[in-house]
Order: sequence, then C-alpha cells, then structure tokens
Amino acid sequence: MDPLEKPAPDQVLIDQALNRMWAKFLPHLEERIDVLASANAALAAGKLTTGQRAAANTAAHNLAGVLGTFGLTKGTILAREAEILYSGEPETDPEAAAQLGRIADQLRVLIRNRKSGAAGYTLEK
Amino acid sequence: MQHRILIIDDEDDIREVAALSLETVADWEVEVARSGAEGLAMAVASQPEAILLDVMMPGMDGPTTFRELRKNPATAHIPVLLLTAKVQNTDQRRFADLGVEAVLFKPFDPLTLSAQISQILGWN
Repeated sequence: MDPLEKPAPDQVLIDQALNRMWAKFLPHLEERIDVLASANAALAAGKLTTGQRAAANTAAHNLAGVLGTFGLTKGTILAREAEILYSGEPETDPEAAAQLGRIADQLRVLIRNRKSGAAGYTLEK
Repeated sequence: MQHRILIIDDEDDIREVAALSLETVADWEVEVARSGAEGLAMAVASQPEAILLDVMMPGMDGPTTFRELRKNPATAHIPVLLLTAKVQNTDQRRFADLGVEAVLFKPFDPLTLSAQISQILGWN
C-alpha cells in the first residue's frame, strides 16, 4: 500500500481486530510450532511415532490455514510444506529432519516478527 | 441487507476471524459452532441463510456434517460452503463432488470473505 494512501475504514477496523486476535491466539500458534519442533526432534533421533507424526501433520495444517489470514503468506507456504512432509504418504523420511527443523525455526521467527498496524493484513501480499 | 450465517469450525482462531470479518465488513449476523454435531443442532434451531463449514474437524468432519444437513428436511435447503486448507486437486474434486455450493480456501482474506460469499450465493 502507498504509505500516503489512507486505508479504507473497513480495513482499519479489521486490522485492529486482527491485531487483538493475534495477541489472543499467539500462545496457541506457538504451541503448534512446539508440536512441529518436538516431532522434528523425534524424527531426527529416529523415534518419530505415528501419533507424533499425525499431531505434527494437524499442527502444520492448522498453521497453513490461519497464518495467511493474519497476513503471513510465507508462513502458510512453509506450513503447507511441513504438512505434506508429515502426511505419512509416503512415510516421513528421517532425511527430511533438517528441512523440517528449518521450517519450524522459520515459522517461529515469522510469528515473532509479525508487525501490527493499519496495514497489518497486507504486509506480505 | 443483513444476512444470517452459521460458521462451523473447530479451530478457535479461524472461527473467530471469520466471524469478525463477516460481522465487521458486511454487518451480517453470525452464529458459530465448534463441531459438526453442534452445528447440526444450531442449523435446525436457527435456520441460517447459509453455512460456512470447515472440512477437517475431529469427530464429525465437514463432509459428514454436510451429508447430515442434507438428510434432514429442516436443513436440506440451506446452502453450504466448505472451508478448507486442503489445496490438492484430488481433495478439491472430492469436495466439489459432494454437492456443496462452493469450496472456499484457507487462508482467506478477512476483507473480502463476505464479498466472495455474496457473489457465490447471489446476495449482491
């Protein structure tokens, strides 16, 4: 958005409300990333259980669905990648541990650095 | 014109953002349900004009909830829009074959969600 251009009233209202919701749901989003990090540690150690893989798949699916709604389009792309790798079809490859570790780290950084404000939603569009 | 819509989604964040979007941008009356079973009961009781239904939910998932809505004469006429984060073509075809009004994808844009729904349902 042009910095001199005023956002539409709807956008201001939505941005403000989204920022409040972001604060409310941030701990929940971080929990989902913790699930991915735990699964990744287990995968790297060759001890990933079916339950852990399914939990990581669900956490990644949820993150993919929600991050873009808060303006973090890149977060959705990364989470989708993790969702596919944890889908179990084919079996999650221990070789993917490094890649999944990077994804979890990147998601954590993206979430930590999300900027709020009038243009919050459109930051990455 | 104010419309009434029911959102069925087990994820708190998605459900609340969708409700906020439809209430704030379009001034619609929004009801929310946290599960397919709760959504079925609410649809019968409140007779919304449309239902926004998540696909992946624990217990009764979106497609099963949709089939139950269609089986019940009290809800069979209510248009249903599926909301999904699944982007694979096979999933999309499977959902479209169910007979829903439309399939919408997560993440959605909170600023344009109501316009998208309005266009699909001819509410413009």
